[in-house]
Amino acid sequence: MPLVEDSNPFAYPAPIWTLFRSTPRAGGFAPGTPGVVTGEAQSNAARSRLRLQLRFERGRVADARFRAYGCPTSIAVGAWLAGWAVGKDVRELAGLSAARLRKELEIPDQRAHCALLGEDALRAVLDRLPEDPSP
Amino acid sequence: MPIYFDHNATTPLDPRVLEAMQACLGGPYGNASSVHRYGRAARDAIEAARAQVAALVGAQPQEVFFTSGATESNNLALQGALATAPAAARLLYGATEHPSVLETAEALRAAGRAVEVVAVGRDGLLDWAAYETQLSRGPVRLVALMRANNETGVIQDVPRAARLAHARGALLHCDAVQAAGKIPVDFDALGADLMSLSAHKIYGPKGVGALVKRAAVELAPLLHGGGQEHGLRPGTENLPAIVGFGVAAELARDELERRAAHCRRLREMLEAGLRRLGAVTIFGDSAPRLPNTVQFALAGWEGEALLMALDRKGIAVSSGSACSSGKGEPSHVLLGMGWPRELAFGAIRVSLGPSSTENEIARFLAVLSELQALGAAA
Amino acid sequence: MSAVIAPATSRAARTIYLDYAATTPLAPQVLEAMLPYLRGGESDPLLWANPASAHGPGYRARAAVERARAQVAALIGADATEIIFTSGATESNNLAIKGALEFHGALRGSRRAHLVSSRTEHRCVLDSCRYLETQGVRVTYLKPDALGRIAPAQVFEALTPDTVLVSLMWVNNEIGVVYDIPAIARGLRERGVLFHVDAVQAAGKLPIDLREVPVDLLSLSAHKIYGPKGVGALYVRRKPRARLAPQMHGGGHEQGMRSGTLATHQIVGLGAACALAAQRLGEDAVRLAQLRERLWRRLASALPGLHRNGDPQACAPHLLNVSFEGVEGEALRASLPELALSSGSACSSATAEPSYVLRALGRDDELANASLRFSFGRATSVEEIEFAAQRVIEQVRWLRELSPFGKDG
Repeated sequence: MPLVEDSNPFAYPAPIWTLFRSTPRAGGFAPGTPGVVTGEAQSNAARSRLRLQLRFERGRVADARFRAYGCPTSIAVGAWLAGWAVGKDVRELAGLSAARLRKELEIPDQRAHCALLGEDALRAVLDRLPEDPSP
Repeated sequence: MPIYFDHNATTPLDPRVLEAMQACLGGPYGNASSVHRYGRAARDAIEAARAQVAALVGAQPQEVFFTSGATESNNLALQGALATAPAAARLLYGATEHPSVLETAEALRAAGRAVEVVAVGRDGLLDWAAYETQLSRGPVRLVALMRANNETGVIQDVPRAARLAHARGALLHCDAVQAAGKIPVDFDALGADLMSLSAHKIYGPKGVGALVKRAAVELAPLLHGGGQEHGLRPGTENLPAIVGFGVAAELARDELERRAAHCRRLREMLEAGLRRLGAVTIFGDSAPRLPNTVQFALAGWEGEALLMALDRKGIAVSSGSACSSGKGEPSHVLLGMGWPRELAFGAIRVSLGPSSTENEIARFLAVLSELQALGAAA
Repeated sequence: MSAVIAPATSRAARTIYLDYAATTPLAPQVLEAMLPYLRGGESDPLLWANPASAHGPGYRARAAVERARAQVAALIGADATEIIFTSGATESNNLAIKGALEFHGALRGSRRAHLVSSRTEHRCVLDSCRYLETQGVRVTYLKPDALGRIAPAQVFEALTPDTVLVSLMWVNNEIGVVYDIPAIARGLRERGVLFHVDAVQAAGKLPIDLREVPVDLLSLSAHKIYGPKGVGALYVRRKPRARLAPQMHGGGHEQGMRSGTLATHQIVGLGAACALAAQRLGEDAVRLAQLRERLWRRLASALPGLHRNGDPQACAPHLLNVSFEGVEGEALRASLPELALSSGSACSSATAEPSYVLRALGRDDELANASLRFSFGRATSVEEIEFAAQRVIEQVRWLRELSPFGKDG
C-alpha cells in the first residue's frame, strides 16, 4: 500500500503547507519601530485573526511581519502576504485581491474566507497609512 | 488429494489476492476515516478497489458501495428500497431467489408490506406472462431477480425483466453474485438499478461484498452511524478485505473468458458422463446456464446421502445452497421450478472452478458409477 | 523587534502512532491464526471452505468458527451460545438497539416505547436512536456532568413504564471515561429493563465478567483489540433470554439473528485477538495507564491552559484527551504531522466540526476543537511518549506565540 507523502499527511495544497510549516516573517516589530503600520482583520465565522505589520521606507515596504490565529491556510496567507509585500509601493499593495491570494496559495473554495482575511488585513494597513509613510 | 466441486458455495482465495491483502494486513494501516497519513493511505487503497470492482461490472466507481457481503447487499437493496417508497408499492421477486432475498421479503411481509413471488417454469426461467400480469396489478417499487441461480446455474433474462419493470415505474434489483466472474456482467446492459456482488465467490475474501446503485435510486440505510460509504453503509471499512475484493475483481475480469471456457469444457465432459450413467436428471438443462454449474439427481439416491458418500471419498459437493445445507429440506429452487419433492430431495450440485481438472471429473464419474451400483444393489 | 522562530520541522520519516482507539494493528499471532483459513492449512488444504457447507471441509471451517466463539465468550465471562458474529461494532450496536426495540413491537406503533441512552455515545448508537425516533420511539439522551460521568441514579430516574432498553457505553471512545456499568446493570435488572452496553473500548482494557454483571446485550469489535477489521460480535444473554428481531435476513446463520456467510478467517482472528487480550489484560492495562500519566504530567508541567477531559478517577488506561487554550484546533493537528492521532472519534475527525462529546461536557466550540485524543497501545514506548510530549509542547508554544491575541507587536 502506498504511503502518503510523509511531510504533508493532511494533503494541504503545497504552497499552503510549505508556508505553514516554515512561517517566514512570523512575529512583530518592537513597539515604536519607525515606519511600521499595523493592520488587523478577523473572520468571525472561522474565529481567525490576522495581524499584518509593514515597515515603510521611502514609500516602499522595507520589511514585514505577521501574526495569525487560525487554521493553517490563514497562517499561510499571513506568511505569504508578509513576504510578498516587501519591496512593493502603496499602489502595488492596493492592487492585491483575494482572488490573487487564492490563486497563489491554491486556496480551495471552502477556505476562500482565508483569502478575504488576507485582503482585509492588507486593506487595514493601507487605511491607516499616513499621507507620507516614509520616516 | 480432495476434490473441491463446491465453487458456488465459496472459492479459494487467489494467491495474488492474498498477497495484496497481506500488504495491508501486516503493514501500517489505519482506520480509513482517520485523517492522518495512515488513514489517507487506507482511503486511497479503498478507492482503487472501488474502481476495480466497478470495472468488473461496467459501473462507475461512485456507484459501488462496499458491504459485509451479498446477504447484506440484498437486505440493503430490498429493505432500503421499500423503506423509501409508499406503503402500497409492492416487492416482486423470483421464486428461485437466494434465501437472503426470500427471507428479507418474508420479513417485509411480516412488517406489513405487500410482497409477491413471481413463478418460474420447469426450466427455471421466469414465467413472463405471470410477471407482466403482476406488474400491471398496481404499483411495484422493486423487482428482485437474480442473474444466475446459485443451485442450477440458470441465467435469467434480466434485461427483459428490467425493461418491463421500468415501463411500470418499478426498479430492478439484480443479485449477480453467481454471475460475476463466470459470465460477463454489465450493470448498464442488464438495465439494473441495484446489483449485489460478493467477493468470496470470485476468489476474493469472505466478509466483503458490494451493492451497486444508480445515483438516482434512493435507499434507506440498513445500518446507522459513522457516515462511511456516503452514509449508505456506516462502519469502519474492512480494508484488507476491500483491497482483496478489488484485486479479485480485476483478475475475474482479466481471466473471465479463460475461466469460463475451461469450466464449460469440463462441465460438458461431466454432463456427457452423467448421461452415460443413465437415470440422471439434470435440472435447468434446457435453459441458458452458468458454464461451471450442474445440478442433478441420481435415481435411487437422496441428495444428503449422496453428498455424505461423496464426502467420504474426499469429494466436496453441495446439496443446494450452502446456507440451507443440512436442514433436511428439499431445495426451494427445484420446488419452485415445479419438480416433485422426491426428485428435489435427490439433488446435488457440482460447481467447478478454474483449478478443476479432467482427472477430477473422471474420478468423480467413477465414484458416482460405483455409488450408483451400490444404490441399485440396495 | 521580536521575531518568532518556528521550531525546526523534523523531516524524519518517523511517525508516532497514537490512535489505537481508532484502530490497532493486527497482532502477529492473530494473523498466523487467520492465514490457514485464507490460503488453506498445510494438512487441510480446504480450510477456506464455507462453514455452512455440509461436507468435511465445511465442517472443519465450522469447527474453527465455534472455537473462536468460545474464545470470545471467555474474554467476557459468557457462554459460547451467547455470541453472535457480526461485521463489526456498528452492526452489533445497530442489531442490539434496533433489534430489541423492533422485537418489542416498537416499530409498528403497536406499543409506546422509550429508550434511554446518553449524549456521549458512539455515533452509530446515536444514529440508531435517531432513526428509532423517526419511527415513533421516545429517546432520553442522558447528559453527563463536566467530567463526562453519568451516575447510576441518573439512569434509573430516566426510566418510565415504557422503557424497553438502556444503551450505554462502558468506556467512552473519545475521553476514556468509564461508567459504573456493574451498578447500572444491577439496578436495571432489579427494575426489569433490558441493558445494552457498547464495550468496544472496554474489551481488553478492563476486566469484563458477565457472570457477575447482568448486562443483556454487549457489543465487541475485533480491530480495536489487535484483531482484523470487518468483524465484531454481539453478546445476547440466554438467562434471562434477551430477544431481538434480526436486522439482516437470509440463510438463518447465527441462530437466525444474523444471516450471511461466516467469514471464517475474520472470526478466527477475532477469537485469537480475544484470547490474546484475556492473556495480556492486566499487564497491558497497567503499562498503558503509566504511559497515559507520563504524557499528562509532561504536558501539564510544561504548558499552562490545558484541560484534561474526562474523569481522571475513572478513565480507561489507553486514552488521554486534552484541550489546549489559545490555539486553533486544525492548526494544532496540522502542526503535528509526525503524530498520528485524532481530535476525537475516527468517524468525526475528517470533518472540522468540534467533538459533540466534548461539547456535551460543556466545552465551548473553540476549546472542543482545540483538543487532541492520544490513545496508546501495546507497541507504544516511553520514548514515543516523550517524543510526542516534546512535539506537542513545542508546537503549542509556537502557535500561541504566533497568535496576535494579547500581544502588542
